[in-house]
Amino acid sequence: MPKKERPSRFHPVSHTMQTVEVPTEKISPQEQAEAWEKIAHYFRANSLWMLNYCTGCCAIELPLVMTSQYDMERLGMMPMATPRQADILLVTGYASLKTLRRLIYTYEQMGTPKYVVAFGPCAVNGGIYHDAYAVLNRLDLYLPVDLYIAGCMPKPEAVMNGFKRLIELIESGQATGWKDYERRFDWYKSNQLEAVGEVYIHDEFHE
Amino acid sequence: MNIIHLILGLFLAGIAAYGIGRLKPAAASWLTLAASWAALLILFLGGDTLAGGNAWGLLAFKMTPLGWFFSMTLLFVYSTNTFFNLSVPAAPTRQAAYPMLYLISLASTIGVFSAENWLALFIFWEIVLWSSTFMIGFGKPGRGSIIYFGMSLLGSFMMLFAILVMGTAYQTFEVKGALMAAAQSPGPALLVFLLMLFSAMVKLGITPFHIWMPEAYHEAPDHFAPVLAGGLSKLGAFTALMVTSFLPASTLMAQPWQVRGLPLLTYILLTVSAVSIVIGTLMAIKQEDAKKLLAYSSVANSGYIMIGMLMGTPMSVSGALVHLLAHALATTVTFMVMAAVARQTGTTRMDELGGLLHRMPITFLAFLTAILSLVGLPPMLGFVSKWLILQSLASQGLFLVAAAAIFGSIGSLLYAFRILSTVFLGQLKPKHRQVREAPAVLLIPLLLLSGVTLVLGIYPYGLVQYTAKIENSLGFADTVQITGLSIQGNNGNLNALLIMGAFAIGFLIALGIFLKAPKSRKVDLMDTYTGGEFIYSPELYSYSTNFFAPLERVYAGLPEISRLYEALANRVRDLGTLVQYLFFSPLPSRTALLISVVTILLIWGEAI
Amino acid sequence: MNALQSIGTGLGMALFGWLLQTTISGVTRKVIARIQKRRGPVWYQNFRDIMKLLNKRSVTHGWAFDFGLLVALAGAIGTAMFMPVAGIVAFKGFDNFFMIIYLAALGVFGRALSSGSSGNPLATIGVMRGLTQNIGYKVPYMLLVIALISYYRTSSISEIVELQRVSGWSVLVMPLGFVVAFISLHGMLGKKPFDTYLAPAEIASGPLVEYGGKQLGILMIAHELSVFIEVSLFVNLFLGGGATLPEFLLKYAFIYILSSSLGAVMGRFRIEQVVRFYYKVPIALTIVQILMLAVMRGGVR
Ligand code: SF4
Repeated sequence: MPKKERPSRFHPVSHTMQTVEVPTEKISPQEQAEAWEKIAHYFRANSLWMLNYCTGCCAIELPLVMTSQYDMERLGMMPMATPRQADILLVTGYASLKTLRRLIYTYEQMGTPKYVVAFGPCAVNGGIYHDAYAVLNRLDLYLPVDLYIAGCMPKPEAVMNGFKRLIELIESGQATGWKDYERRFDWYKSNQLEAVGEVYIHDEFHE
Repeated sequence: MNIIHLILGLFLAGIAAYGIGRLKPAAASWLTLAASWAALLILFLGGDTLAGGNAWGLLAFKMTPLGWFFSMTLLFVYSTNTFFNLSVPAAPTRQAAYPMLYLISLASTIGVFSAENWLALFIFWEIVLWSSTFMIGFGKPGRGSIIYFGMSLLGSFMMLFAILVMGTAYQTFEVKGALMAAAQSPGPALLVFLLMLFSAMVKLGITPFHIWMPEAYHEAPDHFAPVLAGGLSKLGAFTALMVTSFLPASTLMAQPWQVRGLPLLTYILLTVSAVSIVIGTLMAIKQEDAKKLLAYSSVANSGYIMIGMLMGTPMSVSGALVHLLAHALATTVTFMVMAAVARQTGTTRMDELGGLLHRMPITFLAFLTAILSLVGLPPMLGFVSKWLILQSLASQGLFLVAAAAIFGSIGSLLYAFRILSTVFLGQLKPKHRQVREAPAVLLIPLLLLSGVTLVLGIYPYGLVQYTAKIENSLGFADTVQITGLSIQGNNGNLNALLIMGAFAIGFLIALGIFLKAPKSRKVDLMDTYTGGEFIYSPELYSYSTNFFAPLERVYAGLPEISRLYEALANRVRDLGTLVQYLFFSPLPSRTALLISVVTILLIWGEAI
Repeated sequence: MNALQSIGTGLGMALFGWLLQTTISGVTRKVIARIQKRRGPVWYQNFRDIMKLLNKRSVTHGWAFDFGLLVALAGAIGTAMFMPVAGIVAFKGFDNFFMIIYLAALGVFGRALSSGSSGNPLATIGVMRGLTQNIGYKVPYMLLVIALISYYRTSSISEIVELQRVSGWSVLVMPLGFVVAFISLHGMLGKKPFDTYLAPAEIASGPLVEYGGKQLGILMIAHELSVFIEVSLFVNLFLGGGATLPEFLLKYAFIYILSSSLGAVMGRFRIEQVVRFYYKVPIALTIVQILMLAVMRGGVR
């Protein structure tokens, strides 16, 4: 994989990648709108519907988080059926050549604001699959990751902890990966194209 | 200007149209348009007091409120449909007779509705039948027109027989008079009642006489199907209502057997109508062709009309009349839309269509209005009539019939959604990307008819008042009541304006919320959730064939009535073969023997 | 101004219905969580969900997609305006059962129109299943209510409530009918085993598949309102409504939470099993009930 120069910090648990300070080109400069955004942030943070794209083995920890042992519905989180309804995209593990296309397609179908949560070292730098032929090592080259959760695989406690951190970030208006994606769309697109060739494949199986 | 002038004028215009049509087909279509709109105007201005007349002391005509109501309904259907005649692409020469037959059948329907004499009524009835048979024959090749003609002939025979029975028993052919006389003295009245009703049921398409409907509607030319479906089948309702109101079953049959205050016979007939609703609904759900689906929905809706007339309470008869108008308007629109769709895309098969809403938005809106009216949802006219009929059923406590009516009402939601979804919603087929909105000539009648459906649905008071007038003229003791803006039912009131108001307020609130929230991004139809899969073939990415398969599995074993008719036809054919074998052999000696036997029988037959 | 007052009352009723049902939905989520040994969300979670959705930017598939939604919400609001609750009724004399059923059906049609126009076949399949289920539960339910109407000789909901105050609740008049109506209500609410038309794991939540953002928010509001209509219709028709607001609320909450709790412990039917189910036991019970009613027919008036 070609390495892209991009300043980034990695921290083990629940840290965002606020890599570039997004120059805030506000939709409306009025204070009213800002105040309303704050309220809206509260609602967004406390009603997170997620779409878990189970790319890797990390996904196996999610059932525990959802069911009675850890019960993420406490935080207002629910699994959803389709990307249109969802707010968070959970990338549970490594992204391979085949899954990345679907990940991008799915991500672009989600409504804004939307957040990406990546699980495990596989999404950070390839983890134990870093030298596998089909695994793409760095997810944040292709999609704007708002939060990483560490652990191979992350324990349910870590997942819950990560979700809480995500809620804090959204509430304070810091989870702005989707804006970054819109702003640097061309950059992301070129990375994506470089990695998988054609993002939306046209071949005999699909037509 | 009296009725005779009107009818005669239309006849002459029809003959003129034939002559002009031989030279210049387009001009003939314009003539049908001008003549039918002129007739509509005359009838509308003349009202139900339009002067009657007596031609050569033989054919007497008189306009009654009932006749005016029916004539207006049919004239409206006919005259709006003339716009579709205009759009017919250069008709083949054998269709030059089409404008003539169109106008002649129109003239004859007015004749049916205003004739004072049963024989005149019958003659006009037959002219309508013959001309429409030919017009159906101009469409797709098939058995449609033959089945239509055969079934209608059965109806005509029954009607003629009833007329002759009345004539011999009561010495009169006068329409009202004969029925009144029958009501006075039972005698053959029951026979007349049943025969008349059966012949009406054939025309209305009530089970088991409905088999002609899907075939004929399917095969009729697209520009004639609206008239056939929305107009001509209503002829049956006219005679049926005459019979049930002047010859009420309650005086006819003073048998001991009564079900919920109704004579057993009426109850049986009600059940037959209820079966018609159920069968029409179930069959409509199954169809793959849009026109056949709509035909079966007509079978179901005729059941409602029949139920309303048979119950014979003021409210139910009002319901039947309003339903008749609502169904005429709505069905005409749906068939017109199908004609427009067929014109633009070349098919009416539902699995070949889809997504046309994005190409033909105005047609879609008209269709939506009509479909809502067919289902009976407010604020359309169909709601008012269904409300009236269900109210009467509830107050009569006819649960079996009510169950069928509910079933049909919910079932109509199913097939209505099916046709809406497979023709207008869903994915646009790639070959239909270039389809354009129907030309303005075709949009005029669509908007006119659906507009009337909507306006009458919001403000039905004038119409219901008129049905009260009809009931008065038919000799009902009391009529449906309207106070202010509410229609008084037996156990509840209806204020259509209020319902529309509540809906409008709700719509404004919804619109407010919608506009306040952030604006949406418009995406392509193919940009849908596919589970992350890439799909590029819209023609396969839709759900339209075998739409209600799970439900169809539930009633897959239902016997089809057309099988019975086919079996009967086969028996007749077998008999024919037998006769042919026995008597029409190539051997001259056998023929000679046959002739001599017949001669002997003729000569000595009396004595034997 | 009498008319303005009525409209105000009606709008108040719709707002009240939405607030009530959204709250009770939240409470029910907690109850179900407890059944599954969880903690569950806060009771106002559904408000947060709706507000979030209304603040989200989503996609549209064309004007019919949005128009159908507006019709759905308008139908729900319009119907809720007519609903009598605890003796308060906005348009006296016009709270007619058939009207309410048909106006609510307009909302359903709007929803079907909208999701059908999204172009996703999963949505169409979902609508197909929903309509099929509709033909299953509506027939016994409507038949029962028609029997009730012919028993009380009125189809005005508030008058039926009044008459029940005199002669006892309709449960006593038709006990079997009550059971059938409850089963029908269960299907109407789309609780398991009758949630085949949603089936998130199978057809990706069916009719809802393409909705997000404000579209889904509006749909949720319309859904809460139509649940309010269905449950309060049931309470009014069979449980004597309520003379006071607390009484009504108690019955309302009981019925809704009971239905949801039953749903929490059941599996899911296939769609034709739903129809088969409804056309066997409930229809049979309905017919028995109607015959019983005909035998001991005395009537109230
Ligand atoms: S991080 Fe570990 S558990 Fe997760 S996908 Fe990679 S290898 Fe599997």
